[in-house]
Amino acid sequence: MTSVIELHSVSKKYAKSTRFSLEDISFSIKKGEKLGVFGPNGAGKTTLMSILCRIISETTGEVTYSDGNKNISNKAFLHTIGYVPQDFSFYPELSPYQNLRYFGTLYAIPKIELNTRIEELLSVLGLHHVMHKKIETFSGGMKRRVNLAIGIINNPSILFLDEPTVGVDVQSKNAIMAYLEELNKKGTTIIYTSHHMNEAEEFCDTIVLLDQGKLIVHDDLKSLIKQYNSTDLQALFLQLTGIEYRD
Amino acid sequence: MRKLFASIHKEFLLLINDKVGLLLMFMMPILLVFIITIVQDSTFKLVNDNNIEIIVVNKDKGGLGDSLSNLLASSGAFKITDRNKLSQKNIEKTLLGDDNLLALWIPENFSKQLTEKAKSVSTEMLSEFEIIDKASEVPQNPTKIILYYDPILQDNFRNSISGSIRSFLGALENRLMIEQLYEEMGFDEIPEKMEDKFFSNQVQIDQISANSSTGQAIPNSTQHNVPAWSIFAMFFMVISLGSNIVKERLSGSFVRLQTIPSSFSLVLLSKMCTYLFVALLQLTVIFALGKFVFPLIGLPTLSLPSNILGLFVISILSAFSAISFAMLVGTYAKTNEQANGFGAITIIILAAIGGIWVPTFVMPSYMQVIGNISPLHWCLEGYYTLFLKGGDWYLLAPTILFLILFILACQILIYSKLKIQNYI
Repeated sequence: MTSVIELHSVSKKYAKSTRFSLEDISFSIKKGEKLGVFGPNGAGKTTLMSILCRIISETTGEVTYSDGNKNISNKAFLHTIGYVPQDFSFYPELSPYQNLRYFGTLYAIPKIELNTRIEELLSVLGLHHVMHKKIETFSGGMKRRVNLAIGIINNPSILFLDEPTVGVDVQSKNAIMAYLEELNKKGTTIIYTSHHMNEAEEFCDTIVLLDQGKLIVHDDLKSLIKQYNSTDLQALFLQLTGIEYRD
Repeated sequence: MRKLFASIHKEFLLLINDKVGLLLMFMMPILLVFIITIVQDSTFKLVNDNNIEIIVVNKDKGGLGDSLSNLLASSGAFKITDRNKLSQKNIEKTLLGDDNLLALWIPENFSKQLTEKAKSVSTEMLSEFEIIDKASEVPQNPTKIILYYDPILQDNFRNSISGSIRSFLGALENRLMIEQLYEEMGFDEIPEKMEDKFFSNQVQIDQISANSSTGQAIPNSTQHNVPAWSIFAMFFMVISLGSNIVKERLSGSFVRLQTIPSSFSLVLLSKMCTYLFVALLQLTVIFALGKFVFPLIGLPTLSLPSNILGLFVISILSAFSAISFAMLVGTYAKTNEQANGFGAITIIILAAIGGIWVPTFVMPSYMQVIGNISPLHWCLEGYYTLFLKGGDWYLLAPTILFLILFILACQILIYSKLKIQNYI
């Protein structure tokens, strides 16, 4: 498989910080991969995701993006990605339809195509019946699904998800994970963080484990469990990062 | 352009969902402009309408007390209420209890004393000219009238009233003295020809307002309050726009926007366009109230300036100043509470020192200097120049310059903060 993102010795140090949040990270993300980024609190997961999405820039090192064949510009790259932050990053005073129309227009999706896409997404995510209601009246699970819908309105080929199922009920979690599986089958590369180890173990095929800004492992999940003689992802996580609190 | 329209549309949707913000931006200033204009109207009338209500308690047994009262009434400066039965003690009670602010007490021997004084002066004058023999000096009791006033009256206003009464009293004394002179010289009365010359040939004082336009706008409660509270309303958008920015930032919408191939400046521009419309709508509503509703409830009508382009320029700059200030607060505030609390308190303070509540020209000189730091003061200065001074571009230039500098300073600070936060 060809790489869509490559990190070469990437380090990040924030202006007011005394230590590196990320230190000398190198790995690549393959096209169509389901990559899980894990680590204890303060490991550098959010910093890594932010660098990958170009929200912040790396202090040293280099990140290269390609569409599978050639390197692409920042603007072209942003057209290819979707980002689903952990926060509900939308306008709760507005309806799902109004939010999706706004963000979709910013992606310059043609009007008719956008309307079709909104209808399709809201139907798949079980939000069609409330598409014109204010989001502030929704449950946590419904809000998560709106958050996801906005992140994939542009039909991205690379999708970044930061804890997409935190605080939702089993039904919503099922619906979200099922839809992500479906997207991946259609060719979307997914980079995902979560503290739900069971969910992550079921979903991811490759993992990156970070601790204190350093890359501990990056490999196929099944191979790692076998290599470290662990029972599951959670056991592997504790084995590699220890049991002490990090915050 | 489609992206910009979508952003503006989103801002409008957020705005119409912000019921508290809308109430603060429209209902509050409308109520304030009504209440404060009605309250201040009586004060402005007291100063500007040449018709000061005064109680006259005339105990004089001669006719000069009436003459003085008639002189005051015929001057047009006073509205006389005769309350001759009031005692001196009761005058004070009346002033403290009623709406009247002034009372004039004329004693019962007023005519007698004034006549004796005139006679004495005329006799002395004639003896000085050696027309008659020197007469023996008769001791004179000083003539006294008493002006009672409500303690709320300011010194300068009270002194000007006292000065007016003194000048009428002077005219009365002069007439009496000349009459006495003629009488001493054997005339029954002053010849008509001389009377005209003595009493009618006064030096006229023409009053010209320093106004570059031909029209004469009178400073009244409407001319002050309508622009003043319109400016206050515009700046109070800090509650809506400031918290709108904080909410977007805290929710992570700004971060999401960074992952979308669209300029962040577009987001800021859409906010500016939306709130510029809001500010101009506030102005239109409050100005329309001043123009069409105020006269219906007995308040002075707002007279618009002749320099309509100047009005447009000052309004646009005032609106952009308010928008820039609100965005600045929203950008630097860490929480919604900070934005709302700091924004509201700052605007109230800047309004107070900027002359929104009370015009700066009645403030002490050091407060007038401090007032210059308030952008609301400069906005109001612009409207004063337009409404009261004819709106000459030369006079508007300092206001325009200050407001442009204020807007630029705010925008630079906003840009710097957003740059540090990596949004731009």
